Amino acid sequence: MTPLLETRGVWQRFGGLIANSDVSISVGRGEIVGLIGPNGAGKSTLFNLIAGVLPPTQGSIWFDGEDVTRLPAAERCQRGVGRTFQVVKSFETMSVIDNVIVGALVRNTVMRVARRKAYEVLEFCGLAARANVLASDLVPSEKRRLEVARALATEPKLLLLDEVLTGLTPVEAKTGVELVRKVRDTGVTVLMVEHVMEIVMPLVDRAIVLDLGKVLVEGKPTEVVRDPKVISAYLGDRHAVGA
Amino acid sequence: MTAETIIQSLASGLLMGLLYGLIAVGLALIFGLMDVVNFAHGEFLMIAMYATFFLFAFFAIDPLLAAPLVAAALFVFGAVVYLLIVRFAVRAKANAGMVQIFSTFGLAIVMRGLAQFFFTPDYRSVTHSWLGGKTISLGGIFLPEPQLVGAAVSIAAFGGLYFFINRTDFGRALEATREDAGAVALVGIDKNRVFALGWGLGAALVGLAGAIMSIFFYIYPDVGASFALIAYVTVALGGFGSVFGAFAGGIIVGLVEATTAMILPPSLKSVGIYAVYLLVVFVRPRGLFGSI
Amino acid sequence: MDTDFAKRRRRDLIVAACLAVIAALVPLFVKDVYVQNIMVLTLMYAALSQSWNILSGYCGQISLGHALYFGLGAYTTTLLFTKFGVLPWFGMLGGGLISALIAMALGYPCFRLRGHYFVIATIVIAEIALLLIQNWDWAGAALGIDIPVRGDSWLKFQFTRSKLPYFYFALGLACVAWFVTWWLEDSKWGFWWRAVKDNPDAAESLGVVVFNSKMGAAAVSAFLTAVGGSFYAQFVSYIDPESVMGFQFSLLMALPAVVGGIGTLWGPMLGAVILIPLTELTRSFIGGSGRGVDLIVYGTLIVLISLARPQGLIGLFSPKRKEAVR
Repeated sequence: MTPLLETRGVWQRFGGLIANSDVSISVGRGEIVGLIGPNGAGKSTLFNLIAGVLPPTQGSIWFDGEDVTRLPAAERCQRGVGRTFQVVKSFETMSVIDNVIVGALVRNTVMRVARRKAYEVLEFCGLAARANVLASDLVPSEKRRLEVARALATEPKLLLLDEVLTGLTPVEAKTGVELVRKVRDTGVTVLMVEHVMEIVMPLVDRAIVLDLGKVLVEGKPTEVVRDPKVISAYLGDRHAVGA
Repeated sequence: MTAETIIQSLASGLLMGLLYGLIAVGLALIFGLMDVVNFAHGEFLMIAMYATFFLFAFFAIDPLLAAPLVAAALFVFGAVVYLLIVRFAVRAKANAGMVQIFSTFGLAIVMRGLAQFFFTPDYRSVTHSWLGGKTISLGGIFLPEPQLVGAAVSIAAFGGLYFFINRTDFGRALEATREDAGAVALVGIDKNRVFALGWGLGAALVGLAGAIMSIFFYIYPDVGASFALIAYVTVALGGFGSVFGAFAGGIIVGLVEATTAMILPPSLKSVGIYAVYLLVVFVRPRGLFGSI
Repeated sequence: MDTDFAKRRRRDLIVAACLAVIAALVPLFVKDVYVQNIMVLTLMYAALSQSWNILSGYCGQISLGHALYFGLGAYTTTLLFTKFGVLPWFGMLGGGLISALIAMALGYPCFRLRGHYFVIATIVIAEIALLLIQNWDWAGAALGIDIPVRGDSWLKFQFTRSKLPYFYFALGLACVAWFVTWWLEDSKWGFWWRAVKDNPDAAESLGVVVFNSKMGAAAVSAFLTAVGGSFYAQFVSYIDPESVMGFQFSLLMALPAVVGGIGTLWGPMLGAVILIPLTELTRSFIGGSGRGVDLIVYGTLIVLISLARPQGLIGLFSPKRKEAVR
């Protein structure tokens, strides 16, 4: 069976700066994959290329057996790629439920169906009690969950999570981890970018480490954390492995 | 059409363009400082022209002498507008863009109404002045003296502004504030003071332009509107907020206007300017000299 | 949950129906032609501002060039009628369709622009159109066109003896503009527009085609605005470029929404009911002794409301909502 997502020899240059060089990764159906690496490793760039924010300078991106390299973000969403933003981008003047309805409308244009779907997703994400509050009134951890809820409402096959667990208190992070597991259990594949290793390692099935724009190592989390290349890449970083 | 008339038109276009640059630079300065477009900019110009007119009518002060006085008065006016209106407009949480546009638009409407009420809608003009109606011949090309002096003032003003921004403490504070208003607060610069002075300075520059323009334009309550649109185009061409982009933008606008007037009927001369604006932003959505 | 929302929408509809019926009864008691005239203008601006609100309020693309569509509607109807004898009803439809098409053609390059670049582009485009019509001899150039009076008839949409038919048409127009907004508000389009206004990047990631959303909003908004322009041409039976395409119309369409509440269902209606009578009354009562007072009152109101109540006056009517906003 073909992998759900595949990048083939992807390059991204910004002027003279090379953000991604020859990155080929693949994500299988039903996996939770962590995309990690020190600051400036090119994680966010790769993430944006997969989400369709911009096309790569070179190389191709395949989703569900189809070449989506040139497709804009909205069309990738229609094909089943959902994403969150590292810096949350809620629709601030809309209520929480309305935020989620925007996502649900991709699959159901009948308002009543979309609304019901949105409530289901809010309940799934533990935000149902806040449904009628304005998005601007949510606390930061709730906004993160709203990001996830909105993306889930689009019924993605692949959910891209951009540092959803970073900066949360330990308790919030724990519920966040549970939520990601629950999402996977519904059959959604998850690719998550995280900077801090210890949060994601227990959660992911497989980890891909980027460094200086290239894939450094990939494999089981337990192997990856012991890899000397990974340790040296993170060396000097305050989130060093085993710290 | 002879080569001479073409050169003649382009030369007048250039002079007018330098003046457009001077009208627009205050707008660019304020935008660069705090991301606010002053939609009452044309009305600032209008009151500067009236101020010059009344100094002439009541005290027989020539517009050239009045210019510094008018600039000083506009400086105060600009700072007051910031302190009374804009300071609050930029705090808006809801509909921030809308509030900013319509608070200054509302001000423009009030100013126009006040001008109609107190000065009547009649057209006024400075009937005689040192420069009015005089021309200089340079190698067969006739240049009107008021425009020539206006262009000189514009160049001098841009030079002064360059010196001011790069060499003086306040200029540096202005530059620092436009880069990072949050950080300057930490080093003890009062943001509101800098903004108020920025608005004052922007208004003073348009005051200078107004004083000179009153020599050769009719003065009436709506006079600002047409120049304001040209000023927005100038600033946008230069890339919003770029003070020296406004200088280049002004020259382009002046030359385009002169060229259009040679090709199309005079009543359509502004079409050229507007068309160039659209062409430029369609190709470069942030203006000619704007950073992407 | 679900029912709360349905209840609110049903309540909006009932309130609107009641207000429409009350408005329809007013002329039975108010016979004064001057007052009726103000009522016609109020309803017309309510409809226009509601149309403007679709593009600028809901979708967040602030247009200060809607006079273009207003003028297009007025000119299309008038030219078709005076030059080809086409009935104004068809002119209205034709003007609306032409405006919608032009709005989309202009939107194609303009919707790439952001912020002030977009706003200035809208002003500049309307201004170009104004200058072109002023120089177009066949269309009457700067002098404009007189619409010949052919007697009272609904067919020709001309009424000389009474202003009432105009009043009822304007009322109908305001109702249609309101109802279209009400209907779109709870549709895919309405949600897309608000999402685009709040955060285009996030909207795009949720499958919203931002560009198409803006195009849709522009088309609906331009169509309704042009119908308003067609009506106005018939109402005043004389048009010239400055009086139907001048910049002041772009402002007059925007301001009721700004005063009442941008991006809200009731804001433009409330704003028009406050602003238009206020301007007309100041103009006629104080206007004689010194021109410009109407502008002073108007402008001061705009400044105060923008600063003190950026969500518009409509917030005063729903205290619960206000708390949520804060």
